[in-house]
Amino acid sequence: MASADSRRVGDSGGAGGTFQPYLDSLRQELQQRDPTLLSVLVSLLVVLLTLVLWKFIWSRKSSQRAVLLVGLCDSGKTLLFVRLLTGLYRDTQTSITDSSAVYRVNNNRGNSLTLIDLPGHESLRLQFLERFKSSARAVVFVVDSAAFQREVKDVAEFLYQVLIDSMGLKNTPSFLIACNKQDIAMAKSAKLIQQQLEKELNTLRVTRSAAPSTLDNSSTVPAQLGKKGKEFEFSQLPLKVEFLECSAKGGRGDTGSADIQDLEKWLAKIA
Amino acid sequence: MLDFFTIFSKGGLVLWCFQGVSDSCTGPVNALIRSVLLQERGGNNSFTHEALTLKYKLDNQFELVFVVGFQKILTLTYVDKLIDDVHRLFRDKYRTEIQQQSALSLLNGTFDFQNDFLRLLREAEESSKIRAPTTMKKYEDSEKAKKPVRSMIETRGEKPKEKAKNSKKKGTKKEGSDGPLATSKATPAEKSSLSVGAENGVELSKEELIRRKREEFIQKHGRGMDKPSKSMKSDAPKEKGKKAPRVWELGGCANKEVLDYSTPTTNGTSEAALSEDINLIRGTGPGGQLQDLDCSSSDDEGAAQNSTKPSATKGTLGGMFGMLKGLVGSKSLSREDMESVLDKMRDHLIAKNVAADIAVQLCESVANKLEGKVMGTFSTVTSTVKQALQESLVQILQPQRRVDMLRDIMDAQRRQRPYVVTFCGVNGVGKSTNLAKISFWLLENGFSVLIAACDTFRAGAVEQLRTHTRRLTALHPPENHGGRTMVQLFEKGYGKDAAGIAMEAIAFARNQGFDVVLVDTAGRMQDNAPLMTALAKLITVNTPDLVLFVGEALVGNEAVDQLVKFNRALADHSMAQTPRLIDGIVLTKFDTIDDKVGAAISMTYITSKPIVFVGTGQTYCDLRSLNAKAVVAALMKA
Repeated sequence: MASADSRRVGDSGGAGGTFQPYLDSLRQELQQRDPTLLSVLVSLLVVLLTLVLWKFIWSRKSSQRAVLLVGLCDSGKTLLFVRLLTGLYRDTQTSITDSSAVYRVNNNRGNSLTLIDLPGHESLRLQFLERFKSSARAVVFVVDSAAFQREVKDVAEFLYQVLIDSMGLKNTPSFLIACNKQDIAMAKSAKLIQQQLEKELNTLRVTRSAAPSTLDNSSTVPAQLGKKGKEFEFSQLPLKVEFLECSAKGGRGDTGSADIQDLEKWLAKIA
Repeated sequence: MLDFFTIFSKGGLVLWCFQGVSDSCTGPVNALIRSVLLQERGGNNSFTHEALTLKYKLDNQFELVFVVGFQKILTLTYVDKLIDDVHRLFRDKYRTEIQQQSALSLLNGTFDFQNDFLRLLREAEESSKIRAPTTMKKYEDSEKAKKPVRSMIETRGEKPKEKAKNSKKKGTKKEGSDGPLATSKATPAEKSSLSVGAENGVELSKEELIRRKREEFIQKHGRGMDKPSKSMKSDAPKEKGKKAPRVWELGGCANKEVLDYSTPTTNGTSEAALSEDINLIRGTGPGGQLQDLDCSSSDDEGAAQNSTKPSATKGTLGGMFGMLKGLVGSKSLSREDMESVLDKMRDHLIAKNVAADIAVQLCESVANKLEGKVMGTFSTVTSTVKQALQESLVQILQPQRRVDMLRDIMDAQRRQRPYVVTFCGVNGVGKSTNLAKISFWLLENGFSVLIAACDTFRAGAVEQLRTHTRRLTALHPPENHGGRTMVQLFEKGYGKDAAGIAMEAIAFARNQGFDVVLVDTAGRMQDNAPLMTALAKLITVNTPDLVLFVGEALVGNEAVDQLVKFNRALADHSMAQTPRLIDGIVLTKFDTIDDKVGAAISMTYITSKPIVFVGTGQTYCDLRSLNAKAVVAALMKA
């Protein structure tokens, strides 16, 4: 058999000749009664295909099920997380890592979402956002309504960053800006916060694009938020941005329940 | 006696809390988290905040943090042991709840730990009290009673010896000429001599011991005793007849012939020797031209590649075995496992120009964060440690406050006052050059700039700024901006008080409607106290909006010293409750370092203030902003 192969190799020349012996051996295998080598190869291929398909389906299923809770430090994300999951009040500290849990939405279909609470501290938030943004189906941006006046620039900067990142994703997530801490008397209303943020983001667009380029010239011109020439408004964005008010602490502090019905309804809507 | 004890998860949920006093514990604990854990200063496990000392322990396996707080003035010895005991007990008792990935189990679990904790606390307090007070020795038990009376009798001959020994002890105490040995022997000897008993027997043997030790010491450190020998010579008149005069080889009667080490040649022969060497001196390259750098750099690359190849193969082999080891079950990391990897990483960081102290602290902090963590099945120790180190480096480089100068300038514009920026730093780092670059950037964005020349010391400083102003005016003439002068220099010559000039400049800017005032100060060394006082005065009096420290990227361990001393000077001389410290850093001469970017880490770690600008050259366009990921990638690159 080997000599026949070599003769045939000697007859044909060029590139096809290298494949010839393999094709011949394959043909011989097929003709044989029990093709062991071929069956092994075929079975391996089937297993591989199944694995790839399974992984694909699994990732599709779990990829778009996460709801991210982002916001500045001390805006009440962890408490909101606790309230949504259990309805109880818990003391919280500054988070240094993310927490995630499965949340069962109270609508007819009883879908479940994965709530992910990301740390808000300046040194951590961008890292964690990078890690989780691809699996985000919705983003809840929590704002401290009482301290908003003082922190408006920081809020706007982080919001700008989150918006730019979300717009860069393949499936743009739904966006909600939750104005938390409404139980405090000095809390601003959602409408006011929306107006202030629009004004602030309007200026931020200009200053951010005018900042000096980064060291390795990696950052291309950042995506333009809204329309140029016109005042910035949230309706100009390709994502759906909604505002609502809530209070994680609730009217009566640790004993009462939280005022988060609107938030729960919104979560039920997007699930 | 404890103020509080909390156990909380790293995700932020407080699992259990004990409060000895009525104050809430969230404030101090938040301060602990923000200043220690998040700034990677987790090397030692205690932290002081106002009147409290906080000690903490991380459980990296289950992502928990244990914090205890007590008053700073108390020194409680049982706290460390208490934390360890509590940690162990809590972990064992609630293992099922804390083991799960989801946070629901933590939320739903009730952690009724009060009784156990109180029990442990009581045990710890009692164990610290248990040590009985030491009873005093009776006279019969002491050494003195055991000696025969005869040895304690003083005789005539020994008295002057004692006197001489006392004076010698005084002399050694003053100069320490015999090094640490004699002084350490002298102090217990002196104590015993102060005690009334003339225990000459004992003292004599001690004297002998001293002399013997001194001789040994001299034998060991023969030549190095020159300086102390001089002081001992001055000591000699005090010590009468104590020792024979020393004979030094080169001292005293040195003659010129002995000291002359030159080869005995005449002029002619030395010239002949020189002509032979001329070719060697000249070298083999082309005489007049300067060679390019490329040839030598390629050789270096080849050598580097060769050296890295065998290490790479060794690394892959080790990596393979490590992987196989890691495949078998999940093990938790211990200090010993990480020891070698951390040492290597620390050396790597130091090679990349990170200050040595900071590299050590960083590695300590990473070790603290990873101890006890359970690795995944397909990760090696090296990869886990590298990942953690990379994350902590990115964390350090992230700005803790907003870095957006244009936004703040717009704010100041609205309030009709100029935005004042002060540049400070040591000599020659590039303050004036980068000031010109920043004013170009501001002009491009349509803001008018007033440059205040408060460097009244260096020759040509004002002229330098005048040249820059001229060029910038040529680039942005008033015609393009509606007749408004966009850039102007405010100077009062040399030798005047910098703080006064700055104040006048700001007033001038307010009158003329300039948007930004850039104040250039003279370079000064951080050790120079009067100049640091002058700088602190300038900043305190004029309260600029932004104080930028200009540091060059070439600096190594000096960076730590510079920043600490600058900050301290600003804090010491400020009258206000919260002193104005350095607000941001400008990192200059970044184009001179290839990937040895460690200075960025050192500076941000020390001050925890952001790097606002990076200077990469000497033209006006060489101004960049920092990209944390790129810098960390360059830093971790092998």
